[in-house]
Amino acid sequence: MARRRDELPHLPLHLFLLAVVFVTIYPVLWVATIAFSGRQSLAIADVPPDPTFGDRLRAVLPWPAEWSASNFVSVFRDQPFASWMLNSAVVAALTTIVGVSLACTAAYAFSRFRFAGQRAGMMSFLVSQMFPGTLMLIPLYIIVVQWLGLGSTRSGLVLIYATTSVPFSVWMLKGYFDTIPRELEEAAIIEGAGAGTVFWKIVLPLAKPAIAITALFSFMSSWNEFILAATLMDKEDMYTAPVGLRFFVGGFSQQWGYFAAGSIIVSIPVVVLFLYLQKYLVSGLTAGSVKG
Amino acid sequence: MGPRTHRRRFTAGLAAGAAVALALAWALLGGERREAAAVREERLAVVSAQALAELAARSWGKREALPDALAAFQAVAPGVRGARVVALSGARLEASTFASDAGVSPAPRRLAREEKPIFDQAQRLRAAVVGNREGDAAEPELETARLASGAIVAAAPVEVEGQVVGSVMAESVAPPPARGTGADLALALAAFGAAVVLFVALSFALGERRAALATASVLLLAGALWGYGAASIRALAEARRGVEADVAAHARTQAAAVSAGLARAGLDASAVTPERWDVDALRRPRALEGPEVEARVADALAGAAAHAKRALALVGLLGAALLLFVGVGGASRTGRALVVHRQAYLYVAPAMVGMLVLVFFPFFYGIAISFSDQNIYNASRPLTEIWIGLDNYAAILGDFGVIRRVAEGGFALGYANFYYTLLFTIVWTATNVAFGVAFGLLLALVLNTKGLALRPIYRVLLILPWAVPNYITALVWRGFFHQQFGVVNQLIQMFGGAPVAWFDAPFTSFLTAFATNGWLSFPFMMVVSLGALQSIPADIYEAARVDGASRLQQFRAITLPSLKPALVPAVILSVVWTFNMFNIIYLVTAGEPGGATEILVTQAYKYAFERYRYGYAAAYSTIIFGILLVYGTVQNRVSKATEAI
Repeated sequence: MARRRDELPHLPLHLFLLAVVFVTIYPVLWVATIAFSGRQSLAIADVPPDPTFGDRLRAVLPWPAEWSASNFVSVFRDQPFASWMLNSAVVAALTTIVGVSLACTAAYAFSRFRFAGQRAGMMSFLVSQMFPGTLMLIPLYIIVVQWLGLGSTRSGLVLIYATTSVPFSVWMLKGYFDTIPRELEEAAIIEGAGAGTVFWKIVLPLAKPAIAITALFSFMSSWNEFILAATLMDKEDMYTAPVGLRFFVGGFSQQWGYFAAGSIIVSIPVVVLFLYLQKYLVSGLTAGSVKG
Repeated sequence: MGPRTHRRRFTAGLAAGAAVALALAWALLGGERREAAAVREERLAVVSAQALAELAARSWGKREALPDALAAFQAVAPGVRGARVVALSGARLEASTFASDAGVSPAPRRLAREEKPIFDQAQRLRAAVVGNREGDAAEPELETARLASGAIVAAAPVEVEGQVVGSVMAESVAPPPARGTGADLALALAAFGAAVVLFVALSFALGERRAALATASVLLLAGALWGYGAASIRALAEARRGVEADVAAHARTQAAAVSAGLARAGLDASAVTPERWDVDALRRPRALEGPEVEARVADALAGAAAHAKRALALVGLLGAALLLFVGVGGASRTGRALVVHRQAYLYVAPAMVGMLVLVFFPFFYGIAISFSDQNIYNASRPLTEIWIGLDNYAAILGDFGVIRRVAEGGFALGYANFYYTLLFTIVWTATNVAFGVAFGLLLALVLNTKGLALRPIYRVLLILPWAVPNYITALVWRGFFHQQFGVVNQLIQMFGGAPVAWFDAPFTSFLTAFATNGWLSFPFMMVVSLGALQSIPADIYEAARVDGASRLQQFRAITLPSLKPALVPAVILSVVWTFNMFNIIYLVTAGEPGGATEILVTQAYKYAFERYRYGYAAAYSTIIFGILLVYGTVQNRVSKATEAI
């Protein structure tokens, strides 16, 4: 865009941006400070009984009085955080595998075949995104915990996450499959390949980037999911990481050091993933809602 | 699809519809049968316990004879496997025929430490009797427990001269396995067979006339269900009367046993009062004979009949739908489509089956729950038994008590009221989206300044809040607003202010959630706006400047219109997100104070998982879905209309 440089001096803009960036990263710095302070307290520094301005400033600035990695060590050693991470990782990985496999075949059929109920199927997937979570929670709880007996198990969570991730994945993948030229498949069919071969040998390899992105989204959303996990996972050793982190600082528990250290460990993979994926997310979301 | 197949199709349809409907009816009405059986066992056990209580009370003055009396009682009493008498004063086991009690040392003796539950129960019963006499509560004065073997242990208080002095426990003999399900199944099969055979015979007379066949088959289905229902109710009436007769007979035999026990203890064995043994939980006696018995049976049946009517109507509709679907050829068309497009369906099937079981079925099941009074206590009963129609919706939507008069003469907001929460949710959504759009757009405009240094670094740092999992954000911000240790109050005190109790007032509590959500939601708007800004061709601005347009004119005439196609869907999306922003409200304010900062979704969650009112919560959620659906439709219309312009 062509704005004349002399119209807007850059210095105030930089000052403004720096101020906003400071507010933006302050919570992040605060979490890092608490995590590396080696203490469990919510306060960064203890405020003496009759504090001066400086004491208060000390308590607000995100810089630990002393550096220590003890929170990171003991969150694994003294707390079941390792098994929570394992639960989250297993659940997210299985969800991704199951959910994306389901979505790949369905999206391929929706993209390539013409069949009765095709439009209705796609629309029903779209409408299902509008179902309020709380309405689904009670029946899901009854089905998964009471009927299937899968309360506090990873498989119960995987089943729910995988199916609920299907609509978004199908819409993403169908959009990509539509862009793959049909001539390739037709050529293969002329040479005698069956539909299965076409799908496995031609379409899937071509769709690798889209599948990878869909899989990463699926992984991320189940890694971050909180409500369902909090409702279905009753046993402490079966918590996923989000439920476990809340366990540190929810209710009467105030173990902020563990919480901060755990948050950093849990966040790093998803934050990196997110920064890498956000451009796909924005286009996917806005495109989807324009169509819908 | 020749006309000759009508007869065959409707026969198949009737068979399928009747089979499904009757099987469902059989399962749904089975609850009543099981309940009648359970009621019978429990009342028999209570009668035994009450008989025992009378025996204990009458020989209380001569307690040393109790063990003998108890042994004599049990020798005569049918259906009693063990009896136990406990005295509250001194926590003593006065007498027992339980084999497990003899292990320590035979009664009479003090209760052992591990027998404390028995003593606690006696105290509980005494407290209930005393409390009920004072009229402040209606606590059960009897306790029954079912053992793993199926036997029932009933406990009753022993009253001597108006004082509860102890308790008795009687264990019934484990009942024989329930009978009657076989007969009922045969009834259902007979109804099914009769309907199908009758239809086949009728169809010869009707020929290939479709309407006549459809009418006949639906009528036969209804007839079969009605016949089955009527016969099932009659059998239930029989069972209920049998229960009453059994209880009366049991009371008489227990009376003989009590007399035997009293005689053994050397006491007056006359004037035993079996008519006071068949009692309800508050120990109010039921008549053993006379018109009251018939009234009781009729009362129990009225409830069962109402439930049966609802259940049969429901399964009848389901059966008729299936019948007509098969009858008019829907099934065969579906079958043919399945064959023709089998490859496509094969690819879609795994995802579709999963969605049906874990997305669509729960959705419709949730809506069904919203018409019932389901809660944690009756969750195992079929929905047709706890069906209350639209009562939940009436309770939610019909309560306009947003403003309530309080005792001191002032007014207070009813935070639990639906309309208050709806209003709060709308305010919450509007303020958050407005802030997100305004701030996101401002940052995008600043970042879009040509030649600005460090732009990519700013951009990454500003996206960070969106990338951090929002439950972590929420918990961190809740910590920031902690009254004593929170960073925000430290900052306020730094400049001489007084610390604020953020979660004690609705407005400050709202501010905490608003700050949290504002922090995490502006990056989305910023990224969307930035993308749109960068796609505006620079020469448009060049042309505008040549024409002498001011910066503000350029912004209004060029920038805003070009942003619209990207911003409109982003706003629509963020309205839905904010409306449903469960994590922030649930984790930051938790609705404090007193539910004032609850939004609709968190309120529905609390009704379900903190107050355990599943039916009410489901109705609440269905209303939320209705609101979202209306919003979606209106938004679709509006955006289509604006596109057309």
